[in-house]
Amino acid sequence: MRYRKGSKKQGLPSNVREILAKPISDSLQENLDDLHLLLDRCSDAVFKEFTFGPNRENRGLVIFFDGLVNKEQIEINLLKSMMLELNMRNDNSYPWPNHDVFNLVKESIVSLAEVKTIDKLQDLCHSISSGDTVLLIDGYNIGLVAGTRSWQTRTVGSSENEVVVRGPREAFTETLRFNTALIRRRIKSANLKMESFVLGRITKTDVVLCYIDSIAPDQLVAEVKKRLGKIDIDGILDTGYLEEFLEDNHNTIFSQMEYTEKPDRVCGHLLEGQVCIMVDGSPIALIAPTSFPRFWIASEDYYERYIPGSLFRIMRFLAFLVSLLLPSLFVAAVTYHHEMIPSPLYLTIAAAREIVPFPAFVEALLLEVTFEMLREAGIRLPRGIGPAISIVGALIIGDAAVKSGLVSTPMVVVVAFTGIASFVIPSYNAAIVVRMARFGFLFASGFLGLFGIMIALLLMLIHMSSLNSLGLPYLSPIAPFNWRELTDVFVRRPWFKSNMRPYMKGMENEFRQETSQVSDK
Amino acid sequence: MIRINNLQIYCMLLLITAPLAYLITPAIVTHMVGNNNWLAVLTAIIPGSLLIYVYTYILKKSTHPFPIMLEDCLGKVIGKILGFSYILVFLLGTAITLRIFTSFIGSSITPDTPLSVYIGLMLLAGYYALKTGLENMARVSQVLILFGLPIAFLILIISIIEKHDIGNLMPLLNTSYQNFGWAVYEVFFILGNLIAILTLAYFSTDRDKTPRTLFYVLFTHIGLIALSSLIIIIHFGSDYANLTSFPTFKLIRSITVGDFIQNIEAAFIALWIIGIFGAIITKWFMACYVTQQVFALKDYRFIAAPTSVIIGISSLMMGSNIEEEGIILSVIIAVVYGIFYILIPLLVFFTLLFKPNPAAGVENGLKAPPA
Repeated sequence: MRYRKGSKKQGLPSNVREILAKPISDSLQENLDDLHLLLDRCSDAVFKEFTFGPNRENRGLVIFFDGLVNKEQIEINLLKSMMLELNMRNDNSYPWPNHDVFNLVKESIVSLAEVKTIDKLQDLCHSISSGDTVLLIDGYNIGLVAGTRSWQTRTVGSSENEVVVRGPREAFTETLRFNTALIRRRIKSANLKMESFVLGRITKTDVVLCYIDSIAPDQLVAEVKKRLGKIDIDGILDTGYLEEFLEDNHNTIFSQMEYTEKPDRVCGHLLEGQVCIMVDGSPIALIAPTSFPRFWIASEDYYERYIPGSLFRIMRFLAFLVSLLLPSLFVAAVTYHHEMIPSPLYLTIAAAREIVPFPAFVEALLLEVTFEMLREAGIRLPRGIGPAISIVGALIIGDAAVKSGLVSTPMVVVVAFTGIASFVIPSYNAAIVVRMARFGFLFASGFLGLFGIMIALLLMLIHMSSLNSLGLPYLSPIAPFNWRELTDVFVRRPWFKSNMRPYMKGMENEFRQETSQVSDK
Repeated sequence: MIRINNLQIYCMLLLITAPLAYLITPAIVTHMVGNNNWLAVLTAIIPGSLLIYVYTYILKKSTHPFPIMLEDCLGKVIGKILGFSYILVFLLGTAITLRIFTSFIGSSITPDTPLSVYIGLMLLAGYYALKTGLENMARVSQVLILFGLPIAFLILIISIIEKHDIGNLMPLLNTSYQNFGWAVYEVFFILGNLIAILTLAYFSTDRDKTPRTLFYVLFTHIGLIALSSLIIIIHFGSDYANLTSFPTFKLIRSITVGDFIQNIEAAFIALWIIGIFGAIITKWFMACYVTQQVFALKDYRFIAAPTSVIIGISSLMMGSNIEEEGIILSVIIAVVYGIFYILIPLLVFFTLLFKPNPAAGVENGLKAPPA
């Protein structure tokens, strides 16, 4: 739900705000009353009051949200320890009841690995919302947070959207800690930093900024932290929310951050000095900064040998040009510049188009729109029906359209080839840009032929070169030109020649390996 | 402060000189000296080098960028008047480039489309580029050269494979000195556009190497024009080349690859558009920047809007056909460029020759930031 700026509705009710601002009281009853008010109508909140100590004269309270915790851990490591084992304890070094009970419980009774103390009700609410359990003891104005997080999660599976033939298949899940672990498992270095942020006034979403301390430029990390710190919104549900806040230019179709669901790809980028941002509840990690040519690089390129890797990459760039320009070039050639088409081919095209009632531009537009609709329908429909719809669309509708004379066969071939080329693009957000831009080029060619296409290209070029991704020029390493980096963009540089990391302003640790590791034979 | 590297300066300067010359200069020079056209082009290296020396010397001895340096050198009043004149010259240069280009496109590609549409769209794209600033224009220029220059050379090389007769080059030097001199001048005056260095050098990340950049531009430009002139003669012979208005275009039209790729002039023009666009935005930038400096304005970018109207209207009104525009370029523009891009810099050069070096701290005038 959206809220208006300055509206009173944007915050919490005043009484709730007051309670949240309060410190934890040393009266358990007062805390209990406050918590009941705070968690009013929260049926999943569990309050467990109990007594403990040799004479059962101490009162305690355990609070957690059902479904977010491992109840077994609470029962065995917390409640059982306190209610049974503590009562039976016969330790002269802790003369009961003069000893500090809270510290005794914290240090000797609770047998959980992750414990910490809090002193505010706000922190208490955040802890239990995150799946921890809070223990309050009467007479103490602090609470003990026990790490008992456990909920039903999707297990780490293989990537569905970034399929590889060679290379790791693991993909991120919706659980942030699993995702950080997947990265930590690959980069076993103390320099791998994972700084946590809590964003979203209501959702209190955990966000992690991940980078390698000695590689990522300090000013880049500082800039990302600054931008993250400025975000003030009620909820963060996915990395997509952050992307819009973090990017340099908002009014553009070009995505200025990469995203991936593959931990190996994130690690590759971290080793190149980029930073990664992950959000609890999202299986997608944001990577920044990036530039436009990098969207055409697949992680698999680096797992294959460099010669096939380079060929695949060149093919991908060609596919980009085909996907962007082929329909518009065809329209321009058929409508304005038919002298460019060899005569036999032109005669074939002209014969096929003879019965088509539309100009080439309208024909291309109709087919492109239909193709996009079919593609979208294929994605959104249930998996069982999706492929069927695609087949119906491609075969039946296409064939019927040609036979009825609505579209010509060459145009179907052009649009189908364009569609296939667009599937070659490894990054989904780059593919979206190409799909959108293709329509612009189509209009330009429909009205002004090649001149229109060139003007559209120029406008796109000017726009793209004016963009930055966290300070990195969007067209780098083409403009500003950087030959060293270019040798690992259009082709894949062999690992034994990759002595340096891609250039990034402010990067001090530029060397990734010792030189001359390969013997000259 | 905005900084651009020398490679970007190279690209901007090459764009300001080469694209129009690529199509027009071989034709003009061939009309004058026939099969010796390539010799005339190569000879232009000598005055071109001298001009570069003049510009470099001015840069070394000046403490302010162009056109403020005119005031330092020739006095405030004359400097201001000349500065204002330069605004008009740069606008004229932009307008004539735009007009010749659009006339050519209109007559060769889509004759039914009004010229105002082409002019309007080019100005729109140029305006957008200018609004995004010099740094972005430099990046755009870099991309244009990176992709355009290899293709320009490639087209020439393919065309020589198509048909060639080395005998067409003979006899050598069968022309009058006067014609040869004029032909050299026709190649040389285009190099006057390198005057933009007097401003661009102040934005350079490595100012000491700008002279080297200028020489790179000179050799690339001359290489491109000499090669196209040479191939025109080898391909057509001087008699046939003399009969055509745009022999380079004719040359490209004759390319056939594998009996399948044919009539690629539309593709060539598409590439030429981006080159001309680069030339227009650099000249237009100079007009706006000089305006800012002369009138001590805070920014040059807002000047893009009013000047776009001036450029648009003047390019529409300039000449009634492409032949007339060709004459304007080879006669009027040649004289105007000769005065403003060659003679006045020479005057400044001689004035600076007898002036003491700039004070310590600004001893290398290049290091002073632009006003």
